Parts: sequence; structure tokens; C-alpha cells
Amino acid sequence: MISLNSNILMNNCLCMSFFSLHDRKVKDAQMRATINSKLVETGERERLKELLRTRLVECGWRDQLKQHCKEVVRQKGLEHITVDDLVAEITPKGRALVPDMVKKELLQRIRTFLAQQS
Amino acid sequence: MALSCDIESLNIDDLKEELAFIVNDIIDDVTLGLCFEVHRSCKLGTLFLGDTDPQSQREHAIVDEPGVDVFGNPPARKQLECVCPNCQRNLAASRFAPHLEKCMGMGRNSSRIASRRSQKALKDRIEADGKPDSGDSEDDYNDADWSLYPDKKVKRLKKEKRSNSPRRHKTSRLKNGSQYTGDMTAESTIKQERADTPDSIGGYEYMSLEEKKTLLMSTCGVISGHTKKMCTRSHKCPQHTDSQRRHVRQFLLGTGLCTDDDDPVDIDTYVDGDSQSLRETLQWEAASNTSSPTDSTSTNNSTSNSSSKKRHGKKSSKKRKNPKGHSYHSGSGSGCQTHGLYDLD
Repeated sequence: MISLNSNILMNNCLCMSFFSLHDRKVKDAQMRATINSKLVETGERERLKELLRTRLVECGWRDQLKQHCKEVVRQKGLEHITVDDLVAEITPKGRALVPDMVKKELLQRIRTFLAQQS
Repeated sequence: MALSCDIESLNIDDLKEELAFIVNDIIDDVTLGLCFEVHRSCKLGTLFLGDTDPQSQREHAIVDEPGVDVFGNPPARKQLECVCPNCQRNLAASRFAPHLEKCMGMGRNSSRIASRRSQKALKDRIEADGKPDSGDSEDDYNDADWSLYPDKKVKRLKKEKRSNSPRRHKTSRLKNGSQYTGDMTAESTIKQERADTPDSIGGYEYMSLEEKKTLLMSTCGVISGHTKKMCTRSHKCPQHTDSQRRHVRQFLLGTGLCTDDDDPVDIDTYVDGDSQSLRETLQWEAASNTSSPTDSTSTNNSTSNSSSKKRHGKKSSKKRKNPKGHSYHSGSGSGCQTHGLYDLD
């Protein structure tokens, strides 16, 4: 008897946690959308992008990545290279190569922006 | 605001996650931009343009040692030498351009130096031979006065020349207070030197007949007694009379044309060369006749007297061209008067 009750109780709990998780995810997605739209509307996203470009050129990330691109092109062949190939090869490398300082700076700027918004 | 509530409701991990997501998004955008650029340069063929082969990269690598510049050269350098194409001399590169100016005779100062040198060469040649080339002497006679004396007087002029070096002439003229006071520019020194040389050379004897005639046609030409130079004023110059001019022309041009009275003279024959000079002197006379009618009577008399004594027969049919019929002269050049002229009186 008691075990049955506990089972039902557990089921209920599970059901409830499942729903909260789903809600959270939905909430997150909404959150993300909201933040994004706020960034775009105010033009902050463009400013952040420019800042990021400058920093990456200064730290040599761009030249490194370009060298990597040339290697990919030599591998694949100059005639047959496509944008998709390049993007698929380069994007993960690009993310990995960004120095931490630059990432931290960017994060800081976004947090400040969000704080200003409220 | 709704956003702030939402953010606060999130825990820190979630926020970090969201922010990281946004940062990655922005990084991906930049990466995509780079991909487009690289792809475009691939298709245009400019991707591998800047790359050099490893060998030349090694050769021209930047040198980073002490005591040596980036190319690997020590700081002190020996002078670059070059060979002049004109005179085949080895020259320092920094002195090459001015040397070439002088060597080839172009540029601002080279003409002065060249003319000075030609003057000197002319003088030296005179001292050696006693007679310069007719070609060079033309340059020297562009000046105001010409002196009278022919070859015989060259020795005397040589002596004069020794004391008349350009340097001394300069100082003597300065003392005289002539136009050469003030700053002595290069042109004025050269002018002096040019003026000096006619004195020392002994003048117009070395001019061709044509040149003498041209001079006499255009200038008064009377030779001054004390300076032995020809007057360069016009025919109407007040200092000299027509008889003086005639005398000068007789003297200068008459040597080839006058013959002795004793020789039998064929009336109607004359040397071809004479006719030209006679014609020209007649033209001069014709011109001077028109310009100075007042003088003509007095000179007519003197001319007729002198010339009738001198000449008897030498007629030239060409002389009849003279329309005025003044027996004024053919005297200037030839000294060969004929009765033909007097007939026209």
C-alpha cells in the first residue's frame, strides 16, 4: 500500500519536474530571443561585432585563421572549394582560437548592457 | 522591466550559458565574414599572391644582429664609383652630376667656362702662330671695337698682351671707373676678355672680305687714330666725316681692287670679284648720298680732284647704275673712280 502511494507520489513528482524543465527550456528560448532582439534594436550587437573584429585583428587571430584557410584550400583544391566547405572547416577552429581575454571583455560588455537595460 | 525580472529569475549558470551563446554567435558572424573574403580571393586568384618561395624568404629575412643594419650591411659604406660616359673617368657618385654638366657642356655655368677656355686657347694659338683660325675669331669680333693692325704689328701686340692679361685688364678698367665698376659678374669678365682679344690679335685683317663689307655697310667704320679701333656708330656719326669713312673703305677694301696707274688698263674689263664689292660700295654711297646731300658738294669736289688724278680708264658699266650721278664715290671701297661717273654730272 505504502509503496504504491510512494510510487504515485514519485510519479507526480517526476511529472512535475518534467513540466518545469520544459517550461524552463521554453523560458530560456524566450529569454535568448528577448536579449537578442534588445541587442539588435539598440544597435549594440553591431558595436560588439566591430569591437570583436578589432580585437581579433590585433591579437593575430585573423592571420592565423587565414593561414588555416589556405591550407584547407590547398587540401581541397583551388578549383573545387566552396563556401560551405570553408565554413564547416573554419568555424570550430575559429571559436577555439579566440583568446580568453577577448571573450571575457565581450561578456563584460553584454552584462553591462543588460544591466543598463533594466 | 520584464527582462530584468527574467534575468533575476535565472540562476547564474544559465545566465553564463546565455551570454556565452551570444558571444559565440558574434564570433561566428566574424568568422563567416572571413570565410567569404577568403573564398572570393580564391575565385579571383589573389589568395596566394603575397606568398614568396621559402628560398627568397630566407635570403631576404630581416637581420637582427648588433653592429649591422636590417640588410646585414655594416654602418660605414665606401663611396660608390661610376664611370663618366663622356671622358671615361672614375668619379664619386655624389660628384657625378656636376661633373657631367661641365663635361658635356650643358647646364648653367658650363657655357661660361667653355667660352673662357676658348679665349685662352685662341690667345695661345696666336702666340704660337701669329694668326688664329678664322673660325674662332668670329666670336671675338662681336664686340664694340675692332683694332686696325694686321700681321706685322702682332709682335707689338704680343708685348701688349702680356701686360694685358685678363686680370690686369680687370683692375685697370676698375681704376678707370668705366662700366666695369660695381660687381664683376662672370658675363662682364668674359666681355672684357673678348674685348681684349681683338686688341691683341690685331684686328679685322683676319676677317673675310664679306665680313669687312658687312661691317662697313652697317657702321661708320672710321679708324680712330689713337685707339686704332673702328667706330661702331651709324653712318651719320658726328665725329667722323664722310671723307674719313671713304678713306677707311679705301684702305680696308681697296687692297684687292686698286691697280697701279702705270699699268695699262683695259677699259671695259674688270675682275669678277671686284664688281660685287664695287656694287656694294656703290650702294652704300647711294644710301649715304640720299641721307647726306649737304655733304655731297664739298666731298664731290675733293673726290673728283683726287680720283681724277688717280684713275683714268677703268670703267665699269655697272657704275652707270648710280642714278644720282654724284661723283661722290665708289671711292669708299675701290678707289677706282672712272670718268664714267663724272660724265653723268
